[in-house]
Amino acid sequence: MIKVRHLKKVFKTPGGDELAVLKDINCDIEKGEVISIIGPSGTGKSTFLRCLNRLEEPTSGVIEVDGMDILDRKTDISLVRRRMGMVFQNFNLFEHLTILDNVTLCPMTLLGKSREEAEQKGMELLGNVGLHEKAGCLPRELSGGQKQRAAIARCLAMEPDIILFDEPTSALDPTMVSEVLGVIRHLASRGMTMCIVSHEMQFVRDVSTRILFLNDGIVYEEGTPEQIFDNPQKPVTKAFINRIRTLECRFEDKRFDLYGLFGKIHTFCSKYGLGIKTLEKIQHITEEMLCGIMPFRGPVTLLMEYSEKTSRLCMTFIEDNAKKGILDGVDEDSLSLMLVRGMSASLTEPQNGVVSIEV
Amino acid sequence: MRNLFLLMTAAVLWLSSCTGRKVQDLSDVKSVEDFRGHSVAVPMGSSYDLMLSEIDGIEVVRLGLGELLVAVEKGRADFCIQDQYLMKILDLESRGLTSLFDNILPGTAAAGFRKQDSVLCSQFNAYLRDKMASGEYDRWKENWLSATDSMASVSFGIPVHGNDPDKRSLKVGVTNIYPYIYLNEEGITGLEVDLFNRFCFSAGYQVEYEVNEFTALIPALNSGKIDVILSHMRKTEERAKQVLFSDSYIEGGGAAVCRDWNNQDRKNRPGLGKRLKESFNDNLVVEQRWKLMVDGLWETLSISLFSIIAAILMGILFCRLHMSGRNVVSKSAGTLIGLLRGIPLLIILMIMFYVVFASSGITGTWVTVMSFGFYYGAYFSEVFRTGMESIDKGQWEAGFALGLGKFQTFHKVVLPQALNRIIPVLKGEVIALIKMTSVVGYVAVIDLTKASDIIRSRTFDAFFPLILVSVIYILLSWLVGMGLDAIDRKLTPKSRQS
Repeated sequence: MIKVRHLKKVFKTPGGDELAVLKDINCDIEKGEVISIIGPSGTGKSTFLRCLNRLEEPTSGVIEVDGMDILDRKTDISLVRRRMGMVFQNFNLFEHLTILDNVTLCPMTLLGKSREEAEQKGMELLGNVGLHEKAGCLPRELSGGQKQRAAIARCLAMEPDIILFDEPTSALDPTMVSEVLGVIRHLASRGMTMCIVSHEMQFVRDVSTRILFLNDGIVYEEGTPEQIFDNPQKPVTKAFINRIRTLECRFEDKRFDLYGLFGKIHTFCSKYGLGIKTLEKIQHITEEMLCGIMPFRGPVTLLMEYSEKTSRLCMTFIEDNAKKGILDGVDEDSLSLMLVRGMSASLTEPQNGVVSIEV
Repeated sequence: MRNLFLLMTAAVLWLSSCTGRKVQDLSDVKSVEDFRGHSVAVPMGSSYDLMLSEIDGIEVVRLGLGELLVAVEKGRADFCIQDQYLMKILDLESRGLTSLFDNILPGTAAAGFRKQDSVLCSQFNAYLRDKMASGEYDRWKENWLSATDSMASVSFGIPVHGNDPDKRSLKVGVTNIYPYIYLNEEGITGLEVDLFNRFCFSAGYQVEYEVNEFTALIPALNSGKIDVILSHMRKTEERAKQVLFSDSYIEGGGAAVCRDWNNQDRKNRPGLGKRLKESFNDNLVVEQRWKLMVDGLWETLSISLFSIIAAILMGILFCRLHMSGRNVVSKSAGTLIGLLRGIPLLIILMIMFYVVFASSGITGTWVTVMSFGFYYGAYFSEVFRTGMESIDKGQWEAGFALGLGKFQTFHKVVLPQALNRIIPVLKGEVIALIKMTSVVGYVAVIDLTKASDIIRSRTFDAFFPLILVSVIYILLSWLVGMGLDAIDRKLTPKSRQS
C-alpha cells in the first residue's frame, strides 16, 4: 500500500548547518498492518510519519501510495491526504468549532456530504469513541483524553485507508492515556491499517503486527513485536528495549577528581531511582578500583550501565592499550580486591584491560 | 458616567473662562511697538506674522483666522490683529472686546495667478480697471464691506454660470476670510468671490472653488492644483516671487483688538441657557450652517468608510507580502510598513496631495482615501499578521492532513479563529482612523472638523462648534465600536451543549 525508498530529510538549523534527520529509510506498509515506529528520541520518528503525508517535504527519496508517487509535483497531495488520516500529539482540533462540527467539516467540504448525512455519521463516530454527549462542546471544554478521542473520530469521518498516529498519548495526563489507547486498540481489532509513533511500549507490543526500530536516520531493526522486544539483535535496540542507562567517565591518571566523580554517580543513581545502599556500593567499588586496583598504565574509562527493565547494574573499567590483564598484577588476597569481590555479584576480566563488575 | 460627563463639562467651562494678563492702560497702546511685553495673536503665515516676528519682546501666537478673537476673548493672547473692515462689521462690544487702532501694516490685496498665466492675469486686470473706472467696483465694495452680520446673506445678484464644457474652467483656491470670501447657505460668496464671478462671466470662464488652508494655497498654485488664489492675499515681495499678483483692489490694514479692560462689566451677560441657545442659533441655524455640518459629517463618513475598506485591502496585501516565504519580498514589505508608520499621516497626506498627485485631477477626497489606505494599511497589516501568527501551526496542519487545500484551510479553519483575535485590536485602529480623518482639511476637503472651522471663522465662537463636533465624533466611534463588537460576538464560538 505504501512503499518508501531511500527517504531522506535534511533540516537546516538556524545556524545554517544541515541536520540529516532521516538518512535512508526503506519500508513497506501493507493493508491491515499495524506498524509501530519506536526508537530513541531525536531519531526522526515523527518526521518520518509526517513525510508520509507530506506535512514535511522530504529532501529526496520515493514514497508511493497505491503505486502513485506522492512526491511528484503533479500529484494532488490533498487527494492523497483525504485517504490518510493523521492524529497529532497536540490533538489540533479546530478550536472555533464544536466537536460535532470538527467531525463534519471535512466530509461536508470535501466529500460533498449533506449536513444531515455528515452529522448522522459524525454522531455515530462520536458514539464509538464515547463522546456522544460532548458533541456540542467546544474543544476547550474537553479533557486531553476526550480531545484526542474526538480527533480520532474526526479522522475516521473521512473514512481513511490508513491512519498515522503521531505520539497520540505524549501530551496526555497518565490517567487519560488508557482511554485513548483503548480506542486505538479497538480500531486495530477491526483491521484498520495504522502507523503509530509511540513511547507506550506495552501498548506497542500488544497492538502492532510489525515494529520498525528507527535509529540514526535509518530503519535500524525491524520485526514482529516478539522479535524486537524479546530478542533484539542489534546493540542499540537492546539498550533501548532494556532501557539501559549509561554513565561514562574518563580519567587520564591517578590524580583524578574523586569527589566530582562521586557527585556524578549520585546524580545518576537518583535519576534512575537507585537506592542509597546501591549508591554506597557503587561508590566503594569505584574508589577501591580506581585508587587501589587499577594500575593506571594509561588512561582509564569507567562505563556504568543500568537496565531499567531488568534492574541490572554493570560497571566496566577499561584501560587503554592494555597489554597485560589488570587482575593479573593484583594480589588475590589484597584488601581492595577482597572488598570489591565482597560487594559485587560477579567480577570478571573477559579480555585484558577490561574488568566487568556486576553489582 | 453621567457624573463624569458633568465633571468634564465643568472643567471645560472653567478652563474656557481663564483670563489673560491685564493691559494696564489701553490708551498707552498706540502702535505695534507698544505690544512689547505682551502676546499677540496673528493669522499664521500672514504679513502681520512676519512683521511682529521681527520685533523683540512680542510673543507671537500664530493661529487660524477663526481663532484670533476667541484667543483674546479667552485670554490666550493679549492682543490680536485682524482685518480692520471685519472689525468694523463685528459687534466687538458684546464680546467684551475693543478695537484700539487701525491701519497696521497698510497694504493692498489682490488675486494671485500662476507666473505663466500672465494672459489670464492681464485679462483680469483689464476687467478690474474697467469696473473701477466706471465706479461699479466701488459700489460692490461698499455693499460688502459695510454689511453687518445680519446682512451677510444679502444677495447682489451674482450672475449664474452656465455649464458650458467649451469654456476653460478655473480652479480657485480660497480660504474663509469674512467678508471677502466665505461660505453661506448659497455656497462660496463674499466681495472677492463676487468680483471674480463677474469677471469669469464676462470673460467666459467656468469657475470652481476649493476651500483650503491659507498656508496651503501658494503650494497648491505652484503644483497646479489651482489656477487662482483668492484669499485676501496681501502683496508682499516674498509672495511676488512665487505668485503673479493682479492689480490690487482692496486697500487696508489690520486693526489691533484687545479685551476691553475698561468695560468688563459682565453683569449684563445672559445666563448659560440663553448663551447656549444663542450659540446654537449662531452656529447652526443662521445661514443654515447646519447644512455645512451635515455635509461635513457626510464627507467624514464617506472618507472613513472608503478609507477603512482601502486600509483593509492594503493591510491584507501588505500582510500577505510580509508573511511571504521569499526573504526579499517579506523584507521589502517590512521596510515599507516601517516607512509608512514612521511618517506622520498628515505629512503623507500632504505629500500625496501636493507632490504625487499634484498635477492629476484627483480630488482631495480620493487622495485622502489613498493616503489613509496606505498608512492604516501598514498598521492593519501588522494587526492581521499578529492575528495570523497567533494561530497555532497545528491548525493548518490538521486542515492539510484531513485533505483541505491551502485556501480551504485558511478560509474554514484559520481565518475564523484569527478574526476573533484581530477584531478587538482592529477596533482601536478603526476608531483612530475615523478620528484621524479630521486632518483632511489640509487637502481642501470640507469634513466635519473643517466645517466646524469654517463656522468658527464666521461666528468666532470656540465653545459650541468644538463641543458639538466632539460629541459627533464620540457617537461615531461608539457606533463603529458597537458594530465591530457585534461582529466579534458573532464570530466567537459558542458551545451548543444543552
